[in-house]
Amino acid sequence: MPPFRLAFALSFLAATSLVYGQEESATAVSHHVKEVFERAAKAVVKIHGVDEHCEISGTGFFIDPTGTLYTAYTVGGEAGNFTIDFNGKRYPAHQVLADIRSGTAILKTDVATPALPIGKSEELEVATPVVAIGYPLDLPETPNFGMIAGFDRKYLGRYFSTTHLRVNLPTQRGEAGAPLLNMKGEVVGILVSSLENNSACYAVPIEAAEKIRSDFVRFGEARHGWVGINVSEAARRVEGSRAEMTEIMEGTPAAGSGIKPGDILLQVGRKKVHEPEDVLDASFFITAGDTVPITVLRGSEKLTFNVQAELHPASQRPPLIASPTNQAIPLKLDSEVQRTP
Amino acid sequence: MDEFNDNEIGKLLRLKRYEQPPPGYFENFLHEFHRRQRDELLREPLWRILLDRTQDFIFHLDVRSLTSYPAAIAAVLVCAAVISLKIYQEPGTANVAALQSGPALSTAVNAEGQWTLASPAATRIFRAQPLRSLNESADTHRAAIPPRYVLDSVPVSYESTFRF
Repeated sequence: MPPFRLAFALSFLAATSLVYGQEESATAVSHHVKEVFERAAKAVVKIHGVDEHCEISGTGFFIDPTGTLYTAYTVGGEAGNFTIDFNGKRYPAHQVLADIRSGTAILKTDVATPALPIGKSEELEVATPVVAIGYPLDLPETPNFGMIAGFDRKYLGRYFSTTHLRVNLPTQRGEAGAPLLNMKGEVVGILVSSLENNSACYAVPIEAAEKIRSDFVRFGEARHGWVGINVSEAARRVEGSRAEMTEIMEGTPAAGSGIKPGDILLQVGRKKVHEPEDVLDASFFITAGDTVPITVLRGSEKLTFNVQAELHPASQRPPLIASPTNQAIPLKLDSEVQRTP
Repeated sequence: MDEFNDNEIGKLLRLKRYEQPPPGYFENFLHEFHRRQRDELLREPLWRILLDRTQDFIFHLDVRSLTSYPAAIAAVLVCAAVISLKIYQEPGTANVAALQSGPALSTAVNAEGQWTLASPAATRIFRAQPLRSLNESADTHRAAIPPRYVLDSVPVSYESTFRF
């Protein structure tokens, strides 16, 4: 065979196999998404409610077999008279807890339900594929496929209470409260808001919602904690941290703890601090009443102070529990109560 | 008639001229009449007496009194109550009324989907029951104002400073 013909045949074979490979991988992804959707859709429900203005409609999902479900605060936080569409029927539901700081709410209906497994958002990376299942407008359950686009702490110049997952995934109205699933079908986040043109969205990491749920199991309410320290950017990085304590507020747990302004913050609980922004996540997972070990650098000396957290000022208002008669939700058998990291 | 000819009949009639009622007959006539009337009445069964009296009442009812203002107002109020009861038991809001507390309350909608005047609280149940099928609710929603489909463009909570 002449070399020209051989080269042509080889290049033809290579091109064919490339196209075939692309089609095969696209089919595999499609098959994978379909599998996740079919497995998880049964536990995703449409939520109806009535707020002070009108009827509202959003999405939620079951997290245990006794009918406990997570949704966004915008759906389950300030409305009432909830009903859910489940298995082709409509069931009444009531609010168990709503927490504006995390942007989530917990509802409950008294019926046996399927439940979605809880995953770990910490395992996600930028470009990790994810699936969301929601109820857009008055349409049936709809899968959305996208990827993690970033881990944001601020949006339009304002800081979130904890890191939010930015997801390149098209959303529609009615999908607030939808579960964000990894490709194993585990919940890693809850859709809370959309970005420009609904082409992307923000999701609260599932750990934030689980923190609120564990607070409720322990205390009957969400208990955000704090110790009373202001942090800002230090002039230079020391021991890998640029978080300098600038103010120890009077009358707070930190005031008598021995921590001083000018100390460089290295660690809060199990969370290491490198930038002042890292305080947001560390702060969010502090529970009032728990003792928090705080490691600082003073000069060249590394010191650890154990400070008992108090209720966060943002939480010092009547708890947003709709029904005082429902003071507890059952723990999942395979889960443990979260403690302050 | 063959046994009595005209003469015999005339003789009998002449004898009748001398017949007289017993003493006090006319004085006691009215009393005796009422007594016999009561006796006759008591021989009737109770249901018959009630039926007769009801018929009598209806036939003697003054129709004009029904058209008086108080009667007209009462009729309007009854109609308004019935209509408003139906409006407030429309499916969309019936769900809402059923969900005031943890244990679900059933609505006044019975199994056949007909409206009843029974109090919802009288039929308390302690397990969530489907309130309506989705087909029914779809019909209702089509007629009603569409709900607000929730997905805000900004998160609901922000932190003001780096503090913990």
